[in-house]
Amino acid sequence: MTNPIWRPSRRDFARSATALGAAGLFAPALIREANAQSTFNWKRFDGAKIDVMLVKNPRSDLLQAHEKEFTALTGIQVSSEQIPEQQQRQKAMIEFSSGRPSFDVTMLALHVQKRLAAKGKWLEDLRPYLADASLTSPDFDYADFAAGAVGFGKQADGAVDTLPHFIDFWMLYYNKEMFAQKGVEYPKSIDEMVTAAQKLNDPSKGIAGFVSRGLKNANVPVWTAYLLGQGMETVSTTGQLQTDGPEAIWAGEIYKRLNRDFAPPGTIGFNWNECQTTFMQGRAAMWLDGIGFATPLEDPSRSRIVGKVGYGVMPAGPKAHHAGLFGDGLGITRSSTKKQAAWLYMQFMCNKGNQLAMLKAGAGAPGRSSALSNPEAATGSRFSKEYFECLATSGRIARAGLPQIIPVTEFRDTFGVALTNTLSGADVATELKKATEVFKPVLEKSELG
Amino acid sequence: MAGIERSSPVRRRTLAGSAGFALSLFMLVSPAVLVFLWMISLSLKNELDNTSFPPVFVPNPPTFENFIDVFAKNNFLLYFWNSVLVTGGAVLIGLLVGVPAGYGIARAKAAKTAVLILIARMTPALSYLIPLFLLFQWMGLVGTITALIITHLVITIPIIVWIMIGYFEGIPQELEDAAYVDGATLWQSFRYIAMPLARPGMVVAAILAFIFSWNNFVFSIVLGGKNSRTLPSAVYNSLTFEQISWGPLAAAALLVTLPVLVLTVVAQREIVAGLSAGGLKDG
Amino acid sequence: MTAVASPHAEAAGPATVKQVRLKPRRYWLFAVPALVLIAAVIVFPWLFTVFMSLNDWKVGGGIDFVWLQNYTRLFADDRFLESIWRTFFFTVMAVALPILLGVAAALVFHREFPWRGLLRTIFVMPMMATPVAVALVWTMMFHPQLGVLNYLLSLFGLPPSLWVYSPNTVIPTLVLVEVWHWTPLVMLIVLGGLAGLPQDPYDSATIDGATDWQMFRYITLPLLLPYIMIALVIRTIDALKVFDTIFVITQGGPGTASETLNIFLYLQAFQFYNLGYASAVVVIFFIIIVALSLLLLYVRQRTKWNA
Repeated sequence: MTNPIWRPSRRDFARSATALGAAGLFAPALIREANAQSTFNWKRFDGAKIDVMLVKNPRSDLLQAHEKEFTALTGIQVSSEQIPEQQQRQKAMIEFSSGRPSFDVTMLALHVQKRLAAKGKWLEDLRPYLADASLTSPDFDYADFAAGAVGFGKQADGAVDTLPHFIDFWMLYYNKEMFAQKGVEYPKSIDEMVTAAQKLNDPSKGIAGFVSRGLKNANVPVWTAYLLGQGMETVSTTGQLQTDGPEAIWAGEIYKRLNRDFAPPGTIGFNWNECQTTFMQGRAAMWLDGIGFATPLEDPSRSRIVGKVGYGVMPAGPKAHHAGLFGDGLGITRSSTKKQAAWLYMQFMCNKGNQLAMLKAGAGAPGRSSALSNPEAATGSRFSKEYFECLATSGRIARAGLPQIIPVTEFRDTFGVALTNTLSGADVATELKKATEVFKPVLEKSELG
Repeated sequence: MAGIERSSPVRRRTLAGSAGFALSLFMLVSPAVLVFLWMISLSLKNELDNTSFPPVFVPNPPTFENFIDVFAKNNFLLYFWNSVLVTGGAVLIGLLVGVPAGYGIARAKAAKTAVLILIARMTPALSYLIPLFLLFQWMGLVGTITALIITHLVITIPIIVWIMIGYFEGIPQELEDAAYVDGATLWQSFRYIAMPLARPGMVVAAILAFIFSWNNFVFSIVLGGKNSRTLPSAVYNSLTFEQISWGPLAAAALLVTLPVLVLTVVAQREIVAGLSAGGLKDG
Repeated sequence: MTAVASPHAEAAGPATVKQVRLKPRRYWLFAVPALVLIAAVIVFPWLFTVFMSLNDWKVGGGIDFVWLQNYTRLFADDRFLESIWRTFFFTVMAVALPILLGVAAALVFHREFPWRGLLRTIFVMPMMATPVAVALVWTMMFHPQLGVLNYLLSLFGLPPSLWVYSPNTVIPTLVLVEVWHWTPLVMLIVLGGLAGLPQDPYDSATIDGATDWQMFRYITLPLLLPYIMIALVIRTIDALKVFDTIFVITQGGPGTASETLNIFLYLQAFQFYNLGYASAVVVIFFIIIVALSLLLLYVRQRTKWNA
């Protein structure tokens, strides 16, 4: 304004406004966004203080890192805590059931607690917030969230009670060097995967052909990853258990074969961390698990296989090709007294920039399409192009890896025990039949009233 | 005295005998040495050395990265202070009510009351968690240090009472009888005669109560909030999905248990002497 | 405290010892504050648990009174019954081994030898170490490929073990951790007993020409029995209740191979949220602990009379 060279007269101003308007015809979105930025009032809840309960993971590290920026923008103070997965779920359960949770925003494992949250009326329906222009910044663009993610974050009755901020796909990490040495191609089907594991397995050198979770509960997604290859989930759309049919038994046999014959000794007690250590130390050729482990695998201070890691899409099954889908959402506590401030927090944390940052950091796949398809992610990242391709492909073939029922944990426990038993030599069909019998009444009871 | 040799002082010990003795001593002490040394070794090595096989025993060069990592990623000092407050509070209150209780029960020979207090010790800790959570929520105490102190009383009071019973039973009643005849009240004879004599017992009771309360982790996991979490549950919380690493974990584990280990070393004489003097004598 | 401070106003003026003895001294008042505090913490949980054990609670719904259904269900639940037997099996080993080793250790540490204080301190340390912290280190040591224990075995020419990663070895391995932790406690208790032993029986036995073993068997052991019984009671209660170690190391796995009562309880209450069912487990669990403790206390009384 104090620039002496160009002092705009009223006429100048009017002329440039016209020019801007004309430009607006060509770039309407840009202008709308710029306008929105300036009109949306982020400071509406200045001075509020919200409590946030997060699950301990790299995504939460990023959320916490963004807190300062959020407070500067909105004046809202954030007090957040990261709690390990298992305790966080248990804390959510206890606190919500007691009626007065101590937090305003929580992270929710959609593949475990989604139905529980609906049944217990834990979370606020976000639809009114999304519709309210005074609460939702126009550049938030809920439609940008991938359809699969939106469906995952929604309840059966249409209530949008979480923003699906993180999506986890199951994929196959493989050691390129070992594959090259033995002249093995990346498997295209689950059957080929078994053959490959057999070829790569070399116990005399301390190298296993394959490793995946054997620990009960944790191992269920491994089995369902195979079952999805039959075009089937564990519970049908009508709520029937499909856990002891020929397809489920086939998946169980694959699980038993791979984890018993080609996996390192002791896999029966392995969770992701033991699997990760085994694979990272160059002691296994393949590892089937969630997509979020790239960071440690490519960390030279911890991993012996930096640069040798291949990121492969889950091989196809005999009837279908799917990648197991899991995910976390953020939701607002229904009994919170600061719901609107909490909504600003969620909006900010799940905006386009922050979702892209999460992808770039290798912290996992974001729920937003714009972030997933952004070429900037791959170029600006230390992870290989293959990683991002794997992510994108997996996203297209993703399907729920766990049933959408209330007692998910009990399901995982019961079938997890059955699968673990098969690793000690028990018959797959018998174990699955037994587990199905035990779990059936639990499922039926949970669906009553 | 404790030091007197009982097993045939007359007989000369043969060379084989002392070698066998040394061997059994070695067998007894080495498991403890192994675990603690390995813990230290893990905490001072980088991740590649920690997961190499055959294992690297001596950190070369030792790295303090793991400890720096623990302090950088966790609010370790806060958790430490919380543990001090919770454990300190529970031990102080435990002594305040537990020492008189031990005296009363010993003198009244009220074995049944003793069993009543032991019930607190027999109940599985898990069964307290949900009802106490509801109770504390109703009282507005969830996530506070006060709530944890109250729960930790379940640990400290039984230990203190149990040890003090044995102690007071070992103190002859004649002195108190004499004072009583001279017109002292029961409280006075407890306060000025029995209690000073039982001071070594109080030290042991306090130390043991401190250690067991410090080591507890289930209470804090459910009843602790983000500002009242104690050290053991904080360490358990540092197990992260996707990022597990042995070095920082071992460093954190070492830091948690270090205070009690130091206490053990400093007070080992009191602990052994205290227990030997009748702390856990049948009562 | 003031209530306790002057529990009576009697015994004013001179009185003979005999008269004083006749008047009841209200010592029990000293125990009141402790009892009140303990009760304040445990009574509500107890009432709540017993009440809940007769009910069925559902997420997002109310509670239904179901009488004893939770109990009848429990006794038809294979996993629960298996966990009871597993708990007994674990307890027997986790009590017997520390007692055997603890008595042996006490006999060793009772002797005079150089650096006794230092070595005794090192020996006692596991008992004081934070179980959660140590359990994490054990987990790393048990790793079947990268763990230091398998390396140590290989040094002695022994085949590697799967430790907690096999249903066959998991319980003995967990017992090993328990033995490591709690042998020192038994040692300390027995050491206290050894310090109080009279000298006379040994003197006369030496004159009679008794061997070391005979003296241990016929003099030391009977005199130590009350102390061993104390250790037995404490160990039994603690072994039945063990949670931290198993929870951190195996969480009851592989499969259900190390699922003890307490882990089963944890799963029902904190993983499956079957609050009523879990409460019934607590009630039965508590009955088992109390019954066993009382049995042991009774046996102890007997041994005392016989000794």
